[in-house]
Parts: sequence; C-alpha cells; structure tokens
Amino acid sequence: MSAFLGLFGLMLGSGLAAVGDLDRMHAQEQAARHEFLQRTQALGGLCLSIELFGDSVQQSVSVQDDDGVAALRDRLDRLQGDIQLVLGSYNSGPHDRELVTLKVIQTLFFRQRDLVVQMLSWSADERRRRAPLLVHREVAPLLSEILQRSDQLRLANDQQLHDADQTLLAQFASLQASLTRSIALALASGLILILASMIYILRLERQTRLRYAEVVRSRRELEQLSARLVDAQETERRNISRELHDEVGQTLGALLVDFGRLLATLPASAPHLREQVDKMKAVAERSVQAVRNLALLLRPSMLDDLGLVPALEWQGREVSRNSQMEVDVESANVSEDLPDDYKVAIYRLVQEALHNAVRHAAARNARVRVEQDAGRIRVEVADDGRGFDPARSRGVGILGMEERVKRLGGAFSIDSKAGQGTTVRAELPLRREEPAA
Amino acid sequence: MRTLRVLLADDHNLIRAGLRLVVAQQPDCMVVGEAGNGREAVAMANSLKPDVAVLDIGMPDLNGIEACRQIRESLPGTQVVMLSMHSDESYVLRALKAGARAYLLKDSAEADLARAIRAAWEGKSFFSPAVGKVLLEDYMRKLQRTGGEDSYELLSPREREVLQLVAEGKSSKEISNILNVSVYTVETHRANLMQKLNLKSVPEVILYAVRKGIIS
Repeated sequence: MSAFLGLFGLMLGSGLAAVGDLDRMHAQEQAARHEFLQRTQALGGLCLSIELFGDSVQQSVSVQDDDGVAALRDRLDRLQGDIQLVLGSYNSGPHDRELVTLKVIQTLFFRQRDLVVQMLSWSADERRRRAPLLVHREVAPLLSEILQRSDQLRLANDQQLHDADQTLLAQFASLQASLTRSIALALASGLILILASMIYILRLERQTRLRYAEVVRSRRELEQLSARLVDAQETERRNISRELHDEVGQTLGALLVDFGRLLATLPASAPHLREQVDKMKAVAERSVQAVRNLALLLRPSMLDDLGLVPALEWQGREVSRNSQMEVDVESANVSEDLPDDYKVAIYRLVQEALHNAVRHAAARNARVRVEQDAGRIRVEVADDGRGFDPARSRGVGILGMEERVKRLGGAFSIDSKAGQGTTVRAELPLRREEPAA
Repeated sequence: MRTLRVLLADDHNLIRAGLRLVVAQQPDCMVVGEAGNGREAVAMANSLKPDVAVLDIGMPDLNGIEACRQIRESLPGTQVVMLSMHSDESYVLRALKAGARAYLLKDSAEADLARAIRAAWEGKSFFSPAVGKVLLEDYMRKLQRTGGEDSYELLSPREREVLQLVAEGKSSKEISNILNVSVYTVETHRANLMQKLNLKSVPEVILYAVRKGIIS
C-alpha cells in the first residue's frame, strides 16, 4: 500500500517539477527576447546617430557662414547627447567584452567630436584648406572604426540571443531527460511493485491452499480417529463383556448350581446348615446379577441372541423397570439380519437417548420408533422431559451418538426446547451389497 | 415309566457339568449327549433323537433360539427346555415362538430342571417362578403408568377356561373333549379371547398366561 502511495507521489512530484521547469524556461526565453529587441533597437539608434554625425562632419567641411557653424554645432551636440544616451542605456548583458567595445566606441566618438569641434573653430578659409585632409586622415578612419565596433556589438548581440537559445535548448533537453528518467523510474517501480504484489499474492495463495489442505487432512484424520475410537471402544467392551460373561459369570453360575445341589442333598435335620448355604447362595446370586448387568451394559448380548427390535424392547422394559419413566417401543419392517455395526449403533443411540431422558430430563414417558424402508432405517426417540437447548449444550453422549450415525453415513438431529421434551432422530442409509455381519 | 433321553447344550463346561449331575440324579432321566454350541446341538439332536433337549439361549456359533427352531422343525417329537439368564419378555416370547415348551432361569435351573424336563416331555408349559413374576410386574407397572385397564376383566368365564387350556399346550380338539363342547365353539372362544387381549399367536397366549399367573 505504502509502495503504491510512493509511486503515486513520485509521479506527481516529477510532473510538478516539469511544469515548474517549463514555466521558468518560458519566462527566461521571454526575457532573452526582450533584451535582444531592446539591444537591437539601441544599436539601430546608434548607427543612425553615427551616420547623421558623419553627414554633419561632411557638412562642417564646407560650411561658410557663422550661422551655419552654430547650427551644425547644435546638431552635433544633440547627436552627441543621443549617442551618449544610447550608450548609457545599453544593456550589455553579462559579457564584459561588449562593455569594453562600448567604452571604445564612446572614446572614439569623443575624439571625433573633438576633431569636428576643432575644425569648426577654424575660419572658413582655413577649413577649406585643411579640413578635407583632416577629415580624410583622422575623422573618416575614426568613423569607420566606430561603425566597425558597432557591427561587433550587433554580432555580439546576435551571439547573445543565440547563446540564450542554446541555453534554453540545453535546459529543455535536460528537462526532457529528467522527465524521461522520471517516467522510466515510475514505470520500473510500477513494474517492480506489480511483480512484488504478484509474488506476494501467489505466495499467499499457496499458503492458503496448503493450509486448507492441512485443515482438510486433519479433519479427515480426526474423523478416522474418532471412528477408530468408537470401534476400539466397542471391541474393548465386547471383549470385557465376553470375559465377564464367560469367566466370572459362568464360574459363579456353576457355583450356584453346586449350591443348589448341596441344598438338595442336605438333610432336613440340619436347618442350621441349610440356612448358611442359603445365605451363601444368595450372595452368589447377587454377584451373578451384578456381573450380568455389567456385561450387558458393556455389550448387549440381546443383539446377538434376539436381534435389534427385541433387544430394544428389552431395553425399554429394563429402563421402565429401573426408573420412573415408561418406555414404549414401536417398530415397523425392521429386518432381522441388519449388519452388526448398524444394530450396535442404533442400540447405543437409543440407550444414550433414554439414559439422557431419565437422568437429565426427568421424563415420564418416552417413545422409541424404528422403521425401515427401501434402503434406509430411521430411529426416533422422543421424551416428554424438561428439554434443553441443543445449540448450547452438547454432552459427550450426544457427540457419541452423532459420531456413530455419521460413521455409517447417516443424518443425526436433535429437536429440543426447554419445557417441550426432546426428540432425537437418526436416519441411516443401508448398505445394499453387504450381507448380515 | 420309560427313561427320558436328554440332550444338554451349553457352551460352558462347568454349567454343563452341574446340569448333568442334576439330570443324572433323576431316576427317570438320562443324559444321552452334550453339546458345546448350537450347531453341535442341532447335529447331535438329529442323530440321537432325544426326548428332550435342554438348550442354553446364549451360545456361540448358533444361539439357543435358532437351534430350538431347527430341532423343532426336523424333530417334532423332541421337546425343548430353554435355559436363560434373562427373565425378560423378549427372550421368553422368542423362545416360545421358536417352539420351546419350558423356560428356565439358570439361577434356579438345578431346582426346577427335572420338573421342567418332565413337563416339556408331557407337552406342558413350564416357567421358572421368577419369570412369571417379572412378566407380571412389567405388565402391572405399565398398566399403572399408562392408566390402561386390565383386559383380563373383559373375558367371560368360559374364555378364561379356554385361555388356560390353550396356554397349557392343549389342542382345540383336546379342549373340546375336556369342556364337552364342539371344536368349532372352542375355536370361536379362542379367537374372541385373543382379540380381546390383543394377542396374535399361541406363544403370546402362553406368555400372557404366565404373566397373569394362570400357568407356571
């Protein structure tokens, strides 16, 4: 951003400088022309005066009467004043050479004037005799030198104009060069800026793409991880359940059978002994019950023994027995050979939903509905409990349900409002090609 | 009195050993074979043709219910006593639908096994007392909570008689003989009572009777 501002400033600055330079050059040119004209005018006046003076000198040679001499002297004086005025006001410019020439012209002119004044002071005869020689020998060379000098001045004047033109041309060339430089600089910086921006944008884009890929990958990993976690949990539960059932449960069961046989063989004459064995049997029965409940919690063997719907009905009754909530289970068209992961997912979902309804919602009634139609199986657990805001509070249990449903490619939703009960819904697409697991 | 030939099927040796001892103590029973899973039980039943098969409900490979169904299909003369750890209606109904006559809880197997084997052999139903208790409790609780009424009150005295006889495993012909009415009348009573009680099959009738304590 600041780079763009800098570029703009650069272009603005060089443009303003160029405009200023042009203005200055224009003024300079005007001044030079003005000076040139002034000087040309002055030189023109000077030449005219010098020629008139020359004429007067010629006349002074042949003037006869005193009136004529006086008029001539007057004229000479006027011309002399004119010339001095021109010389005094001549703007010589910066060069000393022209000033020197001017001084020389002035000196020569003064000498010429002195000669003429001298000539006029002579008598008419004397003038007739001597003047032509004097004019020829002294005044004419002076005059021609003056003309020569003023020619020099004219040339110098021309030279000055030429010089000023040259200076202007040089300045213009330099302005052009500096403008060209500015434009080139601006173009180059613009190009660099564009390149830099493009590189920056490309890098940003690459980073964004990389980051996106990373997010996608980590999300997939997370999903796989949680799927594996659910699998691992289920496998672990099944193993522990089997262990409990097979080892602990059966050993205790055998113990119970033994107690029973012992009771049957004990003589009725030993009530004391019978009572004691009865107590031991009761303890063993409680243990069997505890182990059985634990095993069932870990892995509902109903799923294996009976299939999904009877297992759900069993669970509903079990919850009804052990809580204040009555559970009603309905089902329609549910096939008996659902894959194991479907059975487990639905069973756990219903288990969790009922658990929440009893534990958190204090519901009095709950309805479980499972129905299957072409390629899909739908589960719904509705209760009349307290309800909650599903957007705000999602426990681990709900996340677990959602996870299981998602893993099977299904859709999961919770409808609940405070005071209006809760409905948990899941819809699972059935795999077609797969036989019963 | 002939000696009853009994097949035992349970996947746990300890339990099976206990059951064998119980059966062996009966003068009128003998164990002819022991199986460790459902598939084995079906195969042995087919070759040994026992009078009564005692099947554990939760066996690996092929569970007791499925084994019961297959045995009853191929050997109608062999009766089945189901052993289970569960007193829940789902299990009982499943076992009855599969053709089992008796349903014993493992906890009390040693006390009731002999009686159950004999009852089954005679074609009668037998249930562990605890099973009837649990079924009744479930039923009463539901009535209480949902405010429903006991449909048993809707039955006429004759229908109640027929209900009990059906639940005991009697055929319509046997019932007509006992009650001295025509088979057609028995069928009518049977249909009426099943409709009133909302029962769809004989196993459900048996379950209902157990629940109500009409039979045990």
